[in-house]
Amino acid sequence: MHANLFIPCLVEDCHPEAAQAMVTVLERLGVAVRHPAGQTCCGQLAYKTGDLKNARALALRYLDVFARPGPVVCPSGSCVKMVRTYPELFTPGTSEHARALDLAGRTFEFCEFVAAQPGAAQLGAHLKVRACYHGSCQMTGGHADDAPKGADDAPRQLLRAVRGLTLLEAERADRCCGFGGIFSLQFTAVSEALVEDKCREILAQEPEILVSAEPSCLMNISGHLARLGRPLPALHVAQVLAAGLGKAVPPWRTRT
Amino acid sequence: MREMTTRNFRRQSAEACRDTNLRAVLDHATRYFQAKRGASLEAFPGRGEHFARARAARLNALSRLPDLLEELETNASAAGTQVHWAADAAQARAIITGIASAAGARVVVKGKSMITEEIALNPALQAAGAEVWETDLGEFIVQLAGEPPSHIIAPAVHKSREDVAKLFAEKLNLHGQSIPELTLLARQALREKFLAADLGITGVNMAVAETGSVILVENEGNIRMSTTCPPVHVAVMSLEKVVASLEDAADILRVLPRSATGQKMSSYVSVLTGPRGQGETDGARETHLVILDNGRSEILADPVLREALACFRCGACLNVCPVYQTIGGHAYGWVYSGPIGTLLTSLLQPRAETRDLPFGCTLCGACKRTCPLSIDHPKLMMALRQRAAKGRTNRFGAAHSLLARHPLAYRLAVGTARAVDPNLDLLPRLPGLPGLSEFVDSRHPPELKKSFTARHRTAKKGKP
Repeated sequence: MHANLFIPCLVEDCHPEAAQAMVTVLERLGVAVRHPAGQTCCGQLAYKTGDLKNARALALRYLDVFARPGPVVCPSGSCVKMVRTYPELFTPGTSEHARALDLAGRTFEFCEFVAAQPGAAQLGAHLKVRACYHGSCQMTGGHADDAPKGADDAPRQLLRAVRGLTLLEAERADRCCGFGGIFSLQFTAVSEALVEDKCREILAQEPEILVSAEPSCLMNISGHLARLGRPLPALHVAQVLAAGLGKAVPPWRTRT
Repeated sequence: MREMTTRNFRRQSAEACRDTNLRAVLDHATRYFQAKRGASLEAFPGRGEHFARARAARLNALSRLPDLLEELETNASAAGTQVHWAADAAQARAIITGIASAAGARVVVKGKSMITEEIALNPALQAAGAEVWETDLGEFIVQLAGEPPSHIIAPAVHKSREDVAKLFAEKLNLHGQSIPELTLLARQALREKFLAADLGITGVNMAVAETGSVILVENEGNIRMSTTCPPVHVAVMSLEKVVASLEDAADILRVLPRSATGQKMSSYVSVLTGPRGQGETDGARETHLVILDNGRSEILADPVLREALACFRCGACLNVCPVYQTIGGHAYGWVYSGPIGTLLTSLLQPRAETRDLPFGCTLCGACKRTCPLSIDHPKLMMALRQRAAKGRTNRFGAAHSLLARHPLAYRLAVGTARAVDPNLDLLPRLPGLPGLSEFVDSRHPPELKKSFTARHRTAKKGKP
C-alpha cells in the first residue's frame, strides 16, 4: 500500500523529526510513502480566523496537491480536521465539492491510521520511559466525556502497546492546553492560565517525556515548560514508536 | 440599568484571570458540577437514546415554531391565561410593568430567570415604584451584590461562602457563617416577601403547546411559592421555549436535571395551566404569559445558527469549558456566558459589540461533547467568526495566505527566516500579530530546523 504524506507547516519546519518518525513507522508496517510536492498550509489558519475566501483558495490547492489517489496520512489531528472540513467550503454538486469529499474520506490522522493497520498490534516497539500523554482536543473524534471509561483512543492504544513504556495520565489529560491558534494571541492571559494548569498537571506525574499526537499542543506546552525552567522532551507519538523500534539510543537521551 | 460590557470581553477576561480567588472558586464549582453530572449519567441506562429523544423534541419544536406558538396561545387562553406578545425587550418591560401597575403591585417576588435578566426587568419594575425581590438563593445573593448572574443555573457560583457571609452582614445585617445558617437567614428574609407579594414573576423552562401549560423546574421551592403565593403570576418566555406535547416535555425532563445538576429529577417540577380554578385551594388568581421574540425570529431563519435555539439551558457546557472555568461569567459582559452564552449574546446583541466573543474560544469542543442535545457549538462559533471577519482583513493572515498559495515564495520566506532568525526572536515584531510578544513571554518559541522535505530527500538518496 502507498500512503501520501501530509506534512503540517509546523512539522515541516519546526518539528520535522515527527514526520521522519512517521515515515519510519509507516515503512515498518509495510506502507510505502509518497511525499507530494507543493505543501504549504492546509488553510486552517485562514479558516479559524473566519477568512473563508483564503481557506477556500488553500483548500483548492490541496485538492490538487493530494489529487493522487490513496490514503493521506498526517501527524496532526487539527490539520486532518481541517481537510475533513473542506466539503463545507464548496457548493454541493460542484466538482470541487466532490473532490473535497473524496479527499476528506481518505485523509487520516497518523495514530488513527496506524492503529487500523493489520500489523499495528505486532509492531513490537520497546522503550523504557515514563511518558505523560496529552490528549489533544483537536484529535479527530475527540474523547467524549460520556465515552465509556477505559476506552482508549488510537494514540493511547499505540502507546500502551509499547513494551516498557509507562503511560502516565495527568489529571484532565484531555483538557485543552490553551493554544487554540489565534486564541493564544488574542486572549493571551486566558491562554497562559490554561497552559499553566496543563503544565502543573503534567509535572505532577514526574514524567521523563511529554507525548502528544498534536504538534501545536507540543509546541505550546513544551514552550511553557521551558519558560518555567522545567523543560521536557516533547515528542509526537510517532517519535516514541520510532524510537521504540530502533536500536539507537533515543535522541532525547543523548543530550545533557 | 447595568451596562452591557461585552465589547471589553478581551480586557475583562484578562482581568478575571488575575483574580486568584475567583479562579479557585470557579475551579471548585465547575468540578463539583461535572462530578455530579458524571455520576448521574453513569447511572442512566440508555442515556444516548434519551439524549436523542430530547434533541428530537427540541428540534421538532423549532421546525414547527410558528404553529406551536399559535397552538400555545389558543390553549393557554382557553385555560384562562392572558397571553402577550413582545417583539423586543422594551415591549416586554412595558407589558410587565403594565400588569404590575394594574395589579397595584408594591412587592414583587421573582423566580430565577435568565430571560428577565435579558430584558433588564428589575430596574424597570423598580422605576415603576415596585419593590423587587429575587427569591432563588443564588439570585438573591447577586441581587444584594448588585451583580448579574455569572452562570445559567448557578447565578452566584463566583461567590465563596465567605463572600456571602460578608454580603449578608453588610446588606441585611444578618450574621451567619455556615452554608445552612446562611440559607436559613435568606429563607427567613424571603418568607416575609412571599407572603407580602402582590405579584410573582418567573421564567419558563418549557411551555406546552397542546395544553397551554408552563413548566418550571427548580430545587428551592421558591418558584412554586412565587407562582402560588401572590394573586398574580407572570411567566416570561422566549419564543423557542415551546414544545409540542407533554410527552416531548417528559423526554426533556428526563435529561435536563441530570445534565444540569446531576439529579434524576429536580426537587420541584411545576406544571401550571391557567389560574386557580373553582374549588381549587391554591394558585394565582390571574396568570399571564409573555412570549418574547427579541431577535430570535431572525436567528431561526439562519439554517446553521438556529441550532443555538435548541438549548434548554442546562449549563453543562459552561462547566466543561476551559475558558469559562478560568474567567467565569462576568467577563462576558452580559447575562449569558460560556459556550452557549457566546453564541446567544453574539446573536442577540449588535455585532459591533460582540465581535470578539466567538474568538474567545479554543475550539476544543468540550461543550459539544458534553451537550445533551449535541449542539455543535464549535461549528456555530466558526459561523460567527466568518460573520465577524467579513470586510475586515488581518495583515498577518492575508500575508500568510498569499504566501501559502505560492509554494516557491513560501519556501523562500521560510528559508530566509531560517537563515537570519532561526530562533524566531523577531517573531513578536511581525505586523498584524499584537499578542505575539505576550505569547513568547510565556512560551519559548520553536526554532526553525532543517525542513522535513530536505531531510526526507537526503534519506531517500541514501537508500539502495
